[in-house]
Amino acid sequence: MKIITKNTVTVALGALLLATGVTSCDTDKLDPVPETAFSDQVVFNTPARIALQINNLYAYVKSGSFLGGRYQVYSDVRADDFINRTSNAVTALQVWNHTLTETSSNDVTSVWGAAYSAINQINVFLAGLEANSASYVAPVFAADFATTTAVQYQAEARFLRALSYYSLLQLYARPYIDGNGSKPGLPLRLQAETGAGGNDLARSTVGEVYAQILEDLNFAEKNLPLTYASTTLNITRAHRNTAIALKTRVYLTMGQYANVVTEANKIVPATAPFTASSGVANSLNASIVTVFNSETTESILAFPFTAQNTPGTQNQLGFYYLPTSNPGGPTGGGEFYLNAEGILANTTALSATDVRRTSFVITNGGNSYLAKYSGGTPYLDKAPVLRYPEVMLSLSEALFRTNGPADTRALALLNAVRTRSKGTAYTSFASADAAVNAVLLERRIEFLGEGIRNIDIMRLNATIPGKGSVSAVPSSSANYVWPIPATELQTNSLITRN
Amino acid sequence: MQGKAPGVNITTPNGVLNNPPVVRIRGVNSISLSSSPLYVIDGIPTYSGDNSATNAPNNPLSSINPNDIESIEVLKDAAAAAIYGSRAAGGVILVTTKRGKKGQSKVSVDSWAGLTKAFRLFDVLGAEDYMMIKNEAVRNLNANRVALGAAGNNVEGFRPTLDADGNVVDTRWYDYIYRTGFSTSNSVNFSGGTDKTSFYASVGYTNQKGMLENNEFKRTSARVNVDHKVYKTFSVGARINYANNYNAAPSTGSLSGSAFGTAGLGRLPLVLPPNIPAYTPDGRPATNGAGVGAGANVNPAAPTSALAPGYYNPVVDLAYNYFNSESNQIQGNVYANWEVLKGLNLRTTYGIDNVGFEDKSFQTALAGDGFSTGGSATNYYRTNKRWNWQNTAQYDRSFGEHNVSLLLGGEQQQTEVQRWGANRTQVADDFFDTYQGNFTNIAAAGNAQGFNYLVSYFGRLSYDYAKKYLLSFNARRDGYSAWGNKKWGNFYGGGVGYIITEENFWKNSGLANTVSFLKFTGSYGEVGNSQGVGDFTTLSTYGSGLYGINATLGYNNAGNRDLTWETSKKLDVGFSFGLLQDKLQGDFSYYRNTIDGLILAVPLSPSKGVPGNSIDANIGSMRNQGIEFNLKANIFQKQDFSWVVSGNVTTQRNEVLALVTEGQRIGTATSGLETVNYTRVGGSVGEILAVPSLGVNPANGQRMVSIVNADGTGRTTVQYNHQGGGWTTLDGKPARTPNQLTDGEYYGPVLPKWYGGIDNSFRFKQFDLNFFIQYSGGNYIYNGTKAGLHDQRFWNNDSDILDRWTSENTNAKWPRVVYGDNVSNGSALVMSSNVEKGDFARLRNVTLGYSLNPTLASRVGIANARLYVQVQNAALVTKYSGIDPEISSNGASNTGIGVDRNSVGQARTYTVGFNIGF
Repeated sequence: MKIITKNTVTVALGALLLATGVTSCDTDKLDPVPETAFSDQVVFNTPARIALQINNLYAYVKSGSFLGGRYQVYSDVRADDFINRTSNAVTALQVWNHTLTETSSNDVTSVWGAAYSAINQINVFLAGLEANSASYVAPVFAADFATTTAVQYQAEARFLRALSYYSLLQLYARPYIDGNGSKPGLPLRLQAETGAGGNDLARSTVGEVYAQILEDLNFAEKNLPLTYASTTLNITRAHRNTAIALKTRVYLTMGQYANVVTEANKIVPATAPFTASSGVANSLNASIVTVFNSETTESILAFPFTAQNTPGTQNQLGFYYLPTSNPGGPTGGGEFYLNAEGILANTTALSATDVRRTSFVITNGGNSYLAKYSGGTPYLDKAPVLRYPEVMLSLSEALFRTNGPADTRALALLNAVRTRSKGTAYTSFASADAAVNAVLLERRIEFLGEGIRNIDIMRLNATIPGKGSVSAVPSSSANYVWPIPATELQTNSLITRN
Repeated sequence: MQGKAPGVNITTPNGVLNNPPVVRIRGVNSISLSSSPLYVIDGIPTYSGDNSATNAPNNPLSSINPNDIESIEVLKDAAAAAIYGSRAAGGVILVTTKRGKKGQSKVSVDSWAGLTKAFRLFDVLGAEDYMMIKNEAVRNLNANRVALGAAGNNVEGFRPTLDADGNVVDTRWYDYIYRTGFSTSNSVNFSGGTDKTSFYASVGYTNQKGMLENNEFKRTSARVNVDHKVYKTFSVGARINYANNYNAAPSTGSLSGSAFGTAGLGRLPLVLPPNIPAYTPDGRPATNGAGVGAGANVNPAAPTSALAPGYYNPVVDLAYNYFNSESNQIQGNVYANWEVLKGLNLRTTYGIDNVGFEDKSFQTALAGDGFSTGGSATNYYRTNKRWNWQNTAQYDRSFGEHNVSLLLGGEQQQTEVQRWGANRTQVADDFFDTYQGNFTNIAAAGNAQGFNYLVSYFGRLSYDYAKKYLLSFNARRDGYSAWGNKKWGNFYGGGVGYIITEENFWKNSGLANTVSFLKFTGSYGEVGNSQGVGDFTTLSTYGSGLYGINATLGYNNAGNRDLTWETSKKLDVGFSFGLLQDKLQGDFSYYRNTIDGLILAVPLSPSKGVPGNSIDANIGSMRNQGIEFNLKANIFQKQDFSWVVSGNVTTQRNEVLALVTEGQRIGTATSGLETVNYTRVGGSVGEILAVPSLGVNPANGQRMVSIVNADGTGRTTVQYNHQGGGWTTLDGKPARTPNQLTDGEYYGPVLPKWYGGIDNSFRFKQFDLNFFIQYSGGNYIYNGTKAGLHDQRFWNNDSDILDRWTSENTNAKWPRVVYGDNVSNGSALVMSSNVEKGDFARLRNVTLGYSLNPTLASRVGIANARLYVQVQNAALVTKYSGIDPEISSNGASNTGIGVDRNSVGQARTYTVGFNIGF
């Protein structure tokens, strides 16, 4: 009897257990919420989250495949100042020897992908900022959020979009002066893309893309803050002078020299000392050496890194250019060394005592290496985008081109950059060409390894010089511009090849 | 199991220990999700695949001690997959462990020891030939340059390095990488039982050292299986397994995604110049920066500087670095079964499967991957936690000749995965080589979190009449957390069978003597597939990162809330038979599996900039079909001698029926660098797209390939002369650069068209001999390794490069060598000259055993004893020129099959072992 009772209890318990087991279904568990990702529904609901999204836009443009390193490297090594040492296709070999194909992955495909990823992050942000505008009300949001902060964010986003499109144009499209902007440019993506559909978009012309860039920059100039609260932010976030500086570069690239002068005049005074008179007091630092390893007002825009936010493997500027052994100093991957036949050979323009030679060129194993990014591992030197001397030299060139070789302000600007690094001052030029060439040479010296060289060659539709056993690439050559990547060709039926 | 079960194709992708095999049951059954089968151990689904975050693979399936396995069953068709239906699209492999038997207690000891050696290594150039070929290539480059009017100023930079004794260094890099590995395994088990209780317990320890230096696998495991009858109608039991797995491996470059690593030990002995030493005269590894030292070689293009072989010196990785993954796994379940009425059983089973993985790695600052970070140590900790609860009610009843069986049940399963880790860089001093040592920097690494939950209800009704006519029907409803708005799927199936030999007319006819058993079967059903879908992939999410010192928040996943189950429609018809008193037994079946709602990553144009450049949707369709035939013959059966042969063959044909858009082709990249496989409608998955090579032009030694004419009709032959005019037509006019997408032709399938095995077992008195042959073929392999082996950068070459074109040797196998040329060999252009057939037959296993005579054994107090010797991978017959036709550089990828890029081949092992039972 006792056993039966016990039996019954067990059976009843068992049956109960079974019944619950079979029928219970935890519906919450069918809708789990990730612990590390936000729903897209909540990212505009506090000012702090929107602020984080602004940082994200910079982070995307700073991608190691884009302006966080590789873009600068690619723009330099296409030309003749560097020699490839490691024959590694992952680290720019094919950029250097002009053998890129539409399937080259670490350059043709990845720069395109990284730049457009950044552009879409910007477009998604702009659309979200707009769509959620009704919710920017107290108490969560400050009273002036919609009218001030949100507009400033728009300006930053559009500045970054302009920078991204501009950078893409320099690799994937013919120069503006080749046909006055009529050649095929880029697919101009201005809508937020979050789903399927809309793959097909034809290339706008070079001129149309520049028009959009200028529209974005004009909006940015008008609405960006004059300054930020810290030196770091003044370098790592766009302010009004940043937009103006980029406009000088854009107009210079388009060959619109009068506009270069107009824009540059906003931040470059008529006479020395050359310090921006409004906004951040951007100026020529006393020494170029400290510009890259510290924060100075010379840097208008540079992308920051930390040990937690590194440039990523094989993206670091220092890694590309520093030698693999350097007793007592920083080392890198020695991917590229300086071409002895390149700018190094010009001991007149880049004299033996020029700081840019004495401080930035080191020798190892019989070769010279660029030590501008001297931080060594983990390679936290900021990736430079815009420096004040670029604006000065752009202005100098534009003045020489518009006013002729006797322009004293142009000469003063050129010499300011040059003598800062103990270069011998120029006294006069016989012709406008000679003056312009001196400025171009100075830019080549000053911005060596900063990604300006390709811009300076292509904006003039000039031949890319050869080096070593690599032949020169004339403007008429198909590989003067990069191919449109196969990944785009496969998915966008309206795209056309270069 | 390789080659032994029909319909099951198992590929060993490389020779790294505990690397997950690629298992495909009746072909590839998905494109984006997993095609791997579901592994169920004693009723509880377990984890499979590589769970390690380091170079040392760790497949939790290896936690089980093979000696504990009682049986392995493969479920392939829809009817059989009723219970695991929602996860059975790729088939199910049921593993049942041993249980004790009533009666005498038994003790069994199994031990073996083995040697593992490399097998079929490449014959690469020695120092002298290397320098000869490379300097010839430099001369040819100069000639090309001069012909174009440029300076021929490259120098013949490949120069002998002398060792301390003045001899020319001739390094065989293989010697530093491969070894003879020694392995041992010991396990003991006890089992026994009474009327009420039975038990099985075991402990085991295995230590395997692979053919690669530093490659090691250790498993320590313990198991207890208990079954107990509480009452006559109520029983309970438990299965508990604990295992500690330790995996260590060097950087092999053989795991999926690492094919082009400059540290990969599969690749290094092929590319490293043989005329440089591994060690400097003072005994340090020869290095230059991250890479290997150049010896006396100088850069032909820049004679002022040493050659810069960007590849690493393998002795650095082997001497200083380590990668390991150690896991502790507890797998167990308890069950209770109550027979409420005669024939009605209620059963509940609750199981857990928890694994903790500790993954550690260190890379020295001296050279290699740790060079640029100044030394690096990374640790990860991962936990997989799963519980699974199944409840079933089964009722079996016979009414005369009518037999009915009804099963109803439910199952819930929750799986949670967490991983966290950090990477420390810039070691304070070479003294430190662990994560706990001192480093300057630290950054988070490998953090991940996942959660999924599955709930299922299912039922199956089976009926037979007189065991002759069989009918069954099953239905199930599954809900899975990873899907968007459509969480639930309903799946049905049914089967019929007819055992004609049970008919009286058959039994009474003369046929019964010849055909003792004949059964016809057919089944059709739908099963779902959710295996491998990301836990949160249907959500549109924002992730947080860093911009310098500041945090960020950005759009990181394009979700599709409509994403839901893939559905496999499985049809099966066949028969099984026994002839001549079952001396000859076999079965035959035709299968067809149509997968609808195939999830595809719909490619978005990169200029849209959507994260991942794709969005998942249930949009494709694919079909697999084929036959399976299995035969077993007792050829000879006598007291002192027997001979049993069994064999099987499976054919498979895969056809992609629909993709996202008409004419779409989905490319699958190998390690993100080279895209060989393309999947398109009308073809089979992942066919190789290669530009047709027409060999070497005898007139000038240039590689000729065929390209499509500009007007799209017909083809033209073009030839390539590196830095000597590039691509030209045969009459020397400039031609456009060939490209894979425009000019490529498809080579497929990449999955074998047929595969199987033949097993022979002989017994003569106390001796037994078994040899097992596995075969497979009809597929193509892209031999990318061969491309690399003929590259004319500084890379070393296969010794067959000696048959290259020269003015004296115009009918050559390989083009004229030109320094820097990576086009003519196929490194930069996927060409048909590197596409080969993958047919092979492998003598996978030969075993010779001797069992102690039972009467003799009992005299010395043991129940049974057997001693055996065994050779695995004893012979391979294939025309494939690569290291192994059974290779997969892309691991278990569904669409990246048949690519051989720098992987480590399979080993050959020799084993001696014994088994004693008391």
